[in-house]
Amino acid sequence: MGSISIESVSVSYAGNRVIEQLSLTIPDGAFFTLLGPSGCGKTTLLRTLAGFLSVDDGRIRFGDVDVTHTPPYRRDIGMVFQDYALFPDKTVFDNVAYGLRARKQVEASIRRKTGEYLERVGLSGFEARRPAELSGGQRQRVALARALVIAPQVLLMDEPLSNLDAKLRVQVRETIHDLQREAAITTVFVTHDQEEALALSDLIGLMHAGRIEQMGAPSEIYAAPISSYVADFVGAANVVEITAPSAIEAGGMGTVNLAGFDVSARAVKRVDAGRAWLLARQEDIMLHPAGGAAGIKATILRRQYLGSRTHYRVRLASEGPALSVERTGPDHSCFSEGAPVQVSLDPMRTLVVPR
Amino acid sequence: MTRRPFDGGIWFWLSLAALVALGVFILYPLINVLASSFGAARTDGRSGWQVLFAEPKYLRAVGNTVLLGLVVTLTTTLIGVPLAYVTARFRFPGKALIAILPLTTLIVPEVIAAQTWLMMLGNNGLITRTLGEWGIPVPSFYGWPGLIIVMTFIYYTYIYMGTLAAIRGFDHQLEQAAQSLGASPGRARLDVMLPVVLPAVLASALLVFTLVVGNFAVATILGHKVELLSVITYQTFVSEVGNDPVMQSTLASVSIGIVALALFLQRFILSRGRYEITLGRGARPVDIRGAPALALAGAATVVVVISLLPLASVIAGAFTRARGPVMRWGEWTTANLERVLINAPDPIINTLIYSGIATALSLIFSTGVSYLLVKKRNALTPAIDYLAALPLALSGTVIGIGLVMSFNRGWLSLTGTAAIIVLAYLIRRLPFGVRNASSTLYNIPNSIEEASISLGVPPLRSFVAVVLPLMIPAIAAAGVLVWTTTVAELSASIVVYSGGRETLPIQIFRLIDSGLMAQASAYGLVLVSIILVPIVIATTVFRLDVFGAK
Repeated sequence: MGSISIESVSVSYAGNRVIEQLSLTIPDGAFFTLLGPSGCGKTTLLRTLAGFLSVDDGRIRFGDVDVTHTPPYRRDIGMVFQDYALFPDKTVFDNVAYGLRARKQVEASIRRKTGEYLERVGLSGFEARRPAELSGGQRQRVALARALVIAPQVLLMDEPLSNLDAKLRVQVRETIHDLQREAAITTVFVTHDQEEALALSDLIGLMHAGRIEQMGAPSEIYAAPISSYVADFVGAANVVEITAPSAIEAGGMGTVNLAGFDVSARAVKRVDAGRAWLLARQEDIMLHPAGGAAGIKATILRRQYLGSRTHYRVRLASEGPALSVERTGPDHSCFSEGAPVQVSLDPMRTLVVPR
Repeated sequence: MTRRPFDGGIWFWLSLAALVALGVFILYPLINVLASSFGAARTDGRSGWQVLFAEPKYLRAVGNTVLLGLVVTLTTTLIGVPLAYVTARFRFPGKALIAILPLTTLIVPEVIAAQTWLMMLGNNGLITRTLGEWGIPVPSFYGWPGLIIVMTFIYYTYIYMGTLAAIRGFDHQLEQAAQSLGASPGRARLDVMLPVVLPAVLASALLVFTLVVGNFAVATILGHKVELLSVITYQTFVSEVGNDPVMQSTLASVSIGIVALALFLQRFILSRGRYEITLGRGARPVDIRGAPALALAGAATVVVVISLLPLASVIAGAFTRARGPVMRWGEWTTANLERVLINAPDPIINTLIYSGIATALSLIFSTGVSYLLVKKRNALTPAIDYLAALPLALSGTVIGIGLVMSFNRGWLSLTGTAAIIVLAYLIRRLPFGVRNASSTLYNIPNSIEEASISLGVPPLRSFVAVVLPLMIPAIAAAGVLVWTTTVAELSASIVVYSGGRETLPIQIFRLIDSGLMAQASAYGLVLVSIILVPIVIATTVFRLDVFGAK
């Protein structure tokens, strides 16, 4: 067991520098998620940790051991792939036992550990089946058992849920969560799905163009995004251009101008006077019947009833920006399409970030 | 620092070794052939090209070859495309018969097909003689009629199989979409299906054209007074060997040029209409009954029966008593077979040895090369890819002449050895072997190998433990295919072989030349059995999809 430290690592892939001088530390036993859109370098970074890609520069440590130049088969990793990567000609048992056999463990211990892990992933009784006879969710459970049974130093997962349908994704996600917490293995999980990242992680590193844009606990990433990019990627957020009459210090409150109205907002980091972005989550925007004193005059453009919540698109003032608003609870049928409303923003949850 | 410090080195050196081998045995002979066509002939000092354009014989041969190629491409398309459409879209009695079609081209070598057609329709043929006795004159089968008919029935299966795969992969919903937009069913099919299926038809038509241009066996046996490039090239080679390689090189260069031009034209036509073909669900075959069903079944049966005729005749011929060139039809004997099996089994033994070695080497080399091409790309692999596909554009005769010219003497003298025959086999099969192994490897995701490595098994052992077992069925199927095609190989081996190293096709060819049909049939039967036994074992015992690997 141990932490993972990445020290100013640069990686090229197919002749392009994909990762430039990246540094980060993942504490021992933490579940760390690399979150980002496709092409941001998250898979490259994961494959570099596995040793399938080598670094141009910098070093990688597992615990106290420098593994920068260790080939993948000696890094003591467990890896879970997007396409499961089960050996199709081998049975479920032989797939899970593969790593133990490579480690030349005695047959009795192989049988005991394999059986134990198959039970943990809920696949006891499937030992003799071949991968083709399993569902997608079952295959990924076998892959999980195969990666974990060798008790690796670190567990690396490359979008393990993205080939599964929505329902299975939640089930396998829960299995991953439970197994990782139980074994307390330092884990790096790659995904482009923010919900997976929020649900599973101790720590999220949001990647953008080969850099870590923001790193923090899920609640921190969600509640205090440091840029419009992070806010937009994690949870749908309204990103609106505003003007700040004067600079606002990091963590401080200030008044900014939104479509001609004064709005209070909090700065995550220092914002200079002038143009800036206002970030407002759709659930942090309140709608009130027209005619009230508080808020900004607006018009409902579109209303979509989604069961547990209702989604609105509203236009501020007469020609101001349009915002997305989501309200939970009872159906607010008084806000019909075309109706005038008043919009107010929660000052503690409305953020302003530099452009 | 390199990107793959752990295994980059060994793969690079293996790529270099493969590239050097391909350069020496494919590129160097090809350059030799092309270059010496510009040299001066010893007789009168003219270059081969000057002679080519001065002598009407050579120009006629070029014209005839192109004409024959075009005509056979057309006739095979006219048979192959409708047959494919009918089998893909309809169900009718006797349809199962058509399933054996791919077999016929594989198990009946060209030389035997030509021979058996002669036994039926040649000057001394069974049908010719019978009809003649009844007073019905039969036009001569030699020359154009024989060439066109025999080549059509040898090669139409290529069009059939290529088109069938395309129609089966064609998304039926496109046709329905066109109909929903108001097109009549016939119109919809033409509008939507044709552009999607056409590239496949064109590709297989091109293959047929190149096969006709390169065909040696049928051209020589049936060509008679029709001068053809492959025949003249071979004759020039036989009469000039060892003293003047200019004319043979010139003629070989012309056939390379014709095939290259055809390949270029195909590229050009296909590139003008570039679209992505989405493979969807093919239409379910429709049942048809009554008169149309009978007509279809009848037509399909005629095609299949004619395709199987050579097989039946070679069996009959092998057991028919003969006095010299005269076949005594109806008088049965086992003397022919006893003769070839007991008194003169050398061609059989030679064939088994040469093809056995060639098959083993071919599998090893193409698996290795494909692994480099698919999984370990580096700066050298594009060149390897290109060189490995080059033999596609070269006929057997050209490959044979190139090898003899390049390895006659000097640092690597191979003429007169068995090695040059095996080499010719290897080169001819290389493009197919590499294509087979590559398509298998593409279907094995990299992640499987990486999963094994991540679990602690080094790269080379991971390849052996998890990738190789997945390739074995495909390698075995490819092995059967290499075997069946090399034991039947004639056009390159007849150029490079030396006395005492006759293979079965060479011996059969020589016997046909002498008119000894019964003995030729006996060797033919042995050859067909040698081809058939591995296919039967592979498909029934090991349940391999031999023809899917084609």
